[in-house]
Amino acid sequence: MSKIWKVRILAYILLFSTLFFVGEVSVAREKLTVWIGGHVVEQETGWAKIVKDFEASSGIDVEYRLIGFEVYYSKLITAFEAGEPPDICFADLGGWVPVFASHGWLESIDNKLDQWKGAEQIWENLWPTVSYKGKRYGLPWYTDDRALMYNFKMFRDAGLDPNNPPERWYEFLGDAMLLTNPSKGQYGYGVSGAMSEITTLGYMMYLFEAGGTLLSSDYNRATFSTKAGLDALQFYTDLFLKYKVSPPATLSYTEDDYRTMMAQNRVAMAIGGPWSIPLIEMANPAIKGNYGFTIHPYLKEPASVLGGWATVIAKKSKHKDAAWEFIKYITSKDVWMWWIDQYRGPMPARMDVCLESPILSQDPKWKVIIDIFPTAHIRPPIAEWTKISYTIQSMIQKVLSKKMGAAQALIWGKTEVDKILGSE
Amino acid sequence: MKKKVSFSKRKVIFIYISPYLIVVLGLLSYLLIDNVSISLNGFRHPTLKNYISTITDPLFLTVNLNTLIWVVSCVVLQLFFAGIIALLLNVDFKGNTIFRIIILVLPWATPDVVAAVAWKWMYNDMYGVLNDVLCKLGILKAYLPWLGDIGLAKVAVIIANVWKGFAVSSMIYLAGLKTIPRQLYEAAEIDGASVWKKLLWITFPSMRPLILTTVLLTVMWTFNYFPLIYIMTGGGPSNATDTIVTYSYRQAFWLLDFGKAASLSTVAFLILLVIAIVYTTFLIKEK
Repeated sequence: MSKIWKVRILAYILLFSTLFFVGEVSVAREKLTVWIGGHVVEQETGWAKIVKDFEASSGIDVEYRLIGFEVYYSKLITAFEAGEPPDICFADLGGWVPVFASHGWLESIDNKLDQWKGAEQIWENLWPTVSYKGKRYGLPWYTDDRALMYNFKMFRDAGLDPNNPPERWYEFLGDAMLLTNPSKGQYGYGVSGAMSEITTLGYMMYLFEAGGTLLSSDYNRATFSTKAGLDALQFYTDLFLKYKVSPPATLSYTEDDYRTMMAQNRVAMAIGGPWSIPLIEMANPAIKGNYGFTIHPYLKEPASVLGGWATVIAKKSKHKDAAWEFIKYITSKDVWMWWIDQYRGPMPARMDVCLESPILSQDPKWKVIIDIFPTAHIRPPIAEWTKISYTIQSMIQKVLSKKMGAAQALIWGKTEVDKILGSE
Repeated sequence: MKKKVSFSKRKVIFIYISPYLIVVLGLLSYLLIDNVSISLNGFRHPTLKNYISTITDPLFLTVNLNTLIWVVSCVVLQLFFAGIIALLLNVDFKGNTIFRIIILVLPWATPDVVAAVAWKWMYNDMYGVLNDVLCKLGILKAYLPWLGDIGLAKVAVIIANVWKGFAVSSMIYLAGLKTIPRQLYEAAEIDGASVWKKLLWITFPSMRPLILTTVLLTVMWTFNYFPLIYIMTGGGPSNATDTIVTYSYRQAFWLLDFGKAASLSTVAFLILLVIAIVYTTFLIKEK
């Protein structure tokens, strides 16, 4: 090789190396990793737009992943446990935030929330769901509550008036029995009986409707082993065992299954919420305008349980300020108004959007959901919640599978929950 | 007579396989030690708390019994069907290859999640194809809640797993059957042996080492098999289909009780280790 060529090659190497390092420096912007759980794939384009707009306005890069609900929790736990969590992730308002905070996985955003005006617009009853030992670890993003979803066509076919849905338990039972016709594969109501958090929520609805409470106000002991608790458990399980208004495989179903069955005119009533609206219409577009929501029937007082998702920042994140900018951006009024315009749901954690968006405030289905929201109950925001919820599911399954009677199962459930809470 | 491998050749063989051995053993040892450490709450101040909590858990006996029923039923049925299918596919007939692909490759190649979801739908008590077919054939009078009944759910997951798992054993058997010299069968036929006698005195003895190895492998795979049960029933209803593996997963990833999950995993590992040692010793003695 001639000397000139050697010099040329050396010059090229130097040039490429310089360009490479210059390029690296010029594009070295902050990069956030975000995990979005519990969202439907159809909303991916929405997230792509939000992220793109944020990147353009902030100069911060965002690498986001949409992860299906079925695998999201275990994926998140594995990431936190391995010490490699994303900077930001979505956490279910059903007790995830206090559980994660108790493991020291989350960064408190109390100071940041104090300085952000938008915090005033978050529904007041959502803050306990993202708090642990007096500190706030998450910013609620969307929320929901539970009501009775029912099928107008099945009501009409059974000679019932869809404009006059049941209000009290006895009316509800009567209607459910009229709507049940096993020979046609039609059932009046879907009792959630599978091993799932949804089953716990189902029982909680009935418990509050019967005037009961789940845990003491200091979350130190179980308080559902009362007459109200027994009324709720007995009625909830009798719907399947005694009155047979719920399908035979109730022990393997949750309200998600019943929503699909309702779309096919197989189940007339089930617990649902704002998330059910796009999903039932996707399962059967013909059901649009043929179903509605009403407050879930009650024994003593109307009740609901709330849920939803919050954004949280990992303690191990190296970009905490950038992470806060991102979650503040996606929770802003403008972004939410745009989102509702695009997707008509879910229910924003911001009061102003719920009350000002014409889409939400003028739809009768949304009216029921928003009206009951301020009184909706939360799940206890304690680190032991997942274990308690699992115990309640087991308690319900013991009755549904006839291993125990309602009274015996209730005592078993109370003893187990007290053990978890350390009060026994 | 078997040719003895020289020492220098053995050395070369060992050198070639040693990188793989080191990686596998290293990885396994690390995971195992880490798991034991978690189960003892660390090696600095070890405690048997998690093991005591596991053993005294009323569900421990249930999940062990479920695991036993699951493993024994699946292994026996898989091996039985695998044997029959392998014998049938060993007969030369037109279209044998297509049958082989459909019967053996389809269940085996179907991803676990897809198979589980498909079976879940087939078992559905409202519009499941299985109920529909059984009702139309007059076997059932009404649709059954396959996954919503304690007894039926056990049967349902076992059937699904037998369908999913028999293909591998069948392929191994088929490969074994192809190695049996045809002359043996021809000589037996001249001597007037019946089909049953040929099966008993030629096929079974020739296949014995393969069958024994397949049994061990199937026991291990079935014991550790997780996705089908998890997706179809989640271990329910009322823990009826919970095995040590699904229960351990729930302890870790639902209830965040990693200590208890690790102790359950260690127990499961010990059970499998004992089975493997006893079985391998038996195989060596056989040889």
